[in-house]
Amino acid sequence: MKLDRVTKTYHMGEVTVNALRETSLDVFKREILVILGPSGSGKSTLLNIMGGMDLPTTGEMLFLGENLSQASDHRLTSYRRNEIGFVFQFYNLIPDLTGRENVELAADLVDQPLDVQNVLRDVGLADRMDHFPSQMSGGEQQRVSIARAAVKNPRLLLCDEPTGALDYQTGKLILALLVKINQDHGSTVVIVTHNTPIGDMAHRVVRMRDGAIADIKENTAPLPPERIEW
Amino acid sequence: MSTLNNKLWRTISRTKGQFIAVVAVVTVGIAVYIGMTTAYYNLNASKEKFYLDRNFADYYFHVVKAPQQVTKQIETIPGVRGVKGRIQKDVSLVNDFNKRATARLTSYTTPVEYEINSLQLLTGRFFAAETVAAQPGEHTRTGDIEILVDPQYAKGNLLDYGDTVTIVAEGKAVPLTVVGTATGPEFIYLMKDAGTLLPDPKTFGIIMISRERAEEILNLKGQINQVLITLVPGADADRVARQVEDVLEPYGNLASYPRKQQLSNAMLEAELDGLRASSRFMPAIFLGIAAAIQFVILSRMVRAQRLLIGIMKALGYRSWQVILHYTGYAVLVALCGALLGTLLGLTLSSVMSQAYAMYFNLPTNIGAVNTQAIVYGFVLSIGISILAGLTACRSVVTISPAESMHPEPPKGGAKTLIENWSWLWCRLDIAWKMSIRSAARNRSRFGITMVGVVFAVGMLVVSLFTLDAVNYMINKHFYQNQRYDYLVRFAAPVNERELLNIEGIEGVQKSEPLLEVPVRIKFSGRSEDDAITGLNPGTTLKKLSDQHEHSIEVPGEGLLISQRTANKLGAKVGDMVEVETLLGIGPSRQTPVKIMGISNQLVGGGCFVSLQQANLLLQERQLVSGVMLKIDPALSAGLEAELEEMTAVSSILSRQKELDNFNNNMEATVYSISILVFFALLLGFAIVYNSSVISFSERQREMASLRVLGFSIKDVSGILLKENLLQSLLGVALGLPFGYLMVKGYIGAVSTDLYSLPVIIYPATYVYAVLGSFFFIIVAHLLAVRGVKQLQLVEVLKNKD
Repeated sequence: MKLDRVTKTYHMGEVTVNALRETSLDVFKREILVILGPSGSGKSTLLNIMGGMDLPTTGEMLFLGENLSQASDHRLTSYRRNEIGFVFQFYNLIPDLTGRENVELAADLVDQPLDVQNVLRDVGLADRMDHFPSQMSGGEQQRVSIARAAVKNPRLLLCDEPTGALDYQTGKLILALLVKINQDHGSTVVIVTHNTPIGDMAHRVVRMRDGAIADIKENTAPLPPERIEW
Repeated sequence: MSTLNNKLWRTISRTKGQFIAVVAVVTVGIAVYIGMTTAYYNLNASKEKFYLDRNFADYYFHVVKAPQQVTKQIETIPGVRGVKGRIQKDVSLVNDFNKRATARLTSYTTPVEYEINSLQLLTGRFFAAETVAAQPGEHTRTGDIEILVDPQYAKGNLLDYGDTVTIVAEGKAVPLTVVGTATGPEFIYLMKDAGTLLPDPKTFGIIMISRERAEEILNLKGQINQVLITLVPGADADRVARQVEDVLEPYGNLASYPRKQQLSNAMLEAELDGLRASSRFMPAIFLGIAAAIQFVILSRMVRAQRLLIGIMKALGYRSWQVILHYTGYAVLVALCGALLGTLLGLTLSSVMSQAYAMYFNLPTNIGAVNTQAIVYGFVLSIGISILAGLTACRSVVTISPAESMHPEPPKGGAKTLIENWSWLWCRLDIAWKMSIRSAARNRSRFGITMVGVVFAVGMLVVSLFTLDAVNYMINKHFYQNQRYDYLVRFAAPVNERELLNIEGIEGVQKSEPLLEVPVRIKFSGRSEDDAITGLNPGTTLKKLSDQHEHSIEVPGEGLLISQRTANKLGAKVGDMVEVETLLGIGPSRQTPVKIMGISNQLVGGGCFVSLQQANLLLQERQLVSGVMLKIDPALSAGLEAELEEMTAVSSILSRQKELDNFNNNMEATVYSISILVFFALLLGFAIVYNSSVISFSERQREMASLRVLGFSIKDVSGILLKENLLQSLLGVALGLPFGYLMVKGYIGAVSTDLYSLPVIIYPATYVYAVLGSFFFIIVAHLLAVRGVKQLQLVEVLKNKD
């Protein structure tokens, strides 16, 4: 994926907010990319544009050579459906579906999904998959959320503060899960967080400030999540 | 509080659609209430006033003929307040177009004073008692007999002051001069007899004439043939009536009936009863549903604004202030609805009054504004809204400021009962599973929406049923029972041989005679007036059916008694009844006859015997009083003209003209059905729309998650539609049988002695009701989920709340 001089301007009432200023970034196959920055630095905006949830105001977004910066809603929907897995801070599960059904819902969308049972087992939910979100802990809900994203076997797994609502231990387990998916299925994983130490597990770390990329650092020896401390 | 009021205004402007929908339902409820109550009040008030002003009779007695002095004797009967003797007789009328019509010649003493059933002059002037000689300057007025006619007849036949109509009385053509129009309390709804379907002013009218001229024309010097009495308040009407009948016995009692059975009054009362029933029933549905919608909206609002309520309370607002704030929404709905409803209701009542003015001859103004109904309307709508508001907001009390700031615990998904039937559950797709669980989680909203749809569908069925009933009647009456093209009646019974004259007319394909005899049927101490028609067994131009709608034949011997009379007498098949003839010509005869079956005619009732049996009742042979004709349609015009020329013919009933008259009168029916259908659709729309809007706004986050997962807008709307259909379709399924029950209830409320609509609902009506409900469900759904397109994925998902 290639982002070329992408900007994003929001009009909030009479105030214009430059959420993203001429930002260019390449995302490589099979890498783990962590985007760091304080709130308001534009990291979530960048992620939303990468995920086809939002369109850039100017600039170009190319995915496998296809320019998606002016794509129709229809094209964006199929892009999200086939290429993207999303993991949110607050899980956003469907309350009226059990864990397994939430994953099945996503699996039904693509032609060649992974096996629902296996994915749930991989995230450690073999015993709890028939519970409803309201009957699960935050960590369990986030595992369902990851399983839901992973089951589509997406090229890009986008995670917005995936550990933000979780305790320390659970957070580390979730990060380990993301690394495992990257290794087992070859998905590119992009994690947005304000939690700097998480950068240690990435192949590359992007730092953002005031809607622009401050620097990009390559990590020759990423740490396994178990060894990260914060 | 003004800040809170600002908040209220902004809440309303943000949820305009819902506010408008619920106001519309209240508006319809109040409009129907005020419209119908006002129309009822006005119609009833002008009826009462007219009856009082014109001294409407309490009891009617028809005799063959009696001396005028007999009234003096009746005056002495205790309980009798006033007596009037008069002449009333149906005569043939030949109008300008040489068409046969019937005029009911009714005599009045001049000068017209305050007497029983006195006249109300509408246009022109009163008739003179004597023959009017030409005034100097006037031309050819010598020997004119002046009359008044009822306004509908005048209008239907384009009669104006000074026009002449010609009647045939005692075998002579008599020209009469119209000097105006008038009406009386017994002529409010003008139908010839109970066997007529609808008023037909072209062929039936009232002629009002001075007593002297009536005596002269009808050759009844010093005689009367009707006695009308009014009763002292509290008098036992039946006992008095028996005494009057005893007095009149030597003069040939033909019929006696109380005011309740007087045709015009009975029709008017039936309309009033129907109106009163609807004026209570319909608003109850709309206001009840409106209250339910408000309950749902406010419960949801309180739940969604839990945090806000916590903040308000933390700032120091008291629970009751917060409750008042939310209930204020309901009160505003009520006020807007009541205001608009009043305006619409007054329009409705004036439209209804205009329609009544077309059918009912009521001279007094019936356009009064019923302030009491308006006040009640406001009180009703505000009261119901406050009740709904307080019920919905009672949970405000339990919200504590600190607790409200915590995020609400996740909405509980839970297993539903249906999941126990795993064979079914496995076959459902995920969207259905979501819908079913969401419905189970929001039981009260689901239930209220469903009940609302049930009522809306029920109302659709009831509205459309009216058309079915009319179609059924037309089909049954005009195409199945009444197979003749013309029914020709003679002024007096004639020998069967005379029919040869009619059978010989070119174009007559078939003719079948009949003999109609008014009778009194007596059984085990009770008696009931009815009409017997004698028909030849094997008659093809008139078909009879029994109480089960099966066709039956006239028995060679014995009687097919009308259902109504059988019920009144408590008589059943196999019983012997006494039949007394009341023909008015020749002596009255009494014969025992066995009941062979029950006949059930849709219109007018009536008993049937063989032609021979009818002659036996009169102790005559080969008499007929009329003939049914089947004709070659191509020759109808000439044939009709020839019939019109025959002086012995008193009336010619044309099926085609009856049908035309019926169809002309359908306009009002179709109009009122359209209004009802519109109201039903509006009701259904409002309830489904509200439920969809709430469901959508509660689940925006869920829908956004699905969009991010890769669901298209269509997929997401589809999920909402399934949830919508779940409750709506259940409502539709229950609404159809509920509609049937509503029809039965409605028929029960408006059925009268004279006529009752059959509870016939054609399958097509159910189909239309279902289509109508799909229409409001889909429209409501599409409007409610417009927001799916604008769903801001980023915004919705960013925040936890």
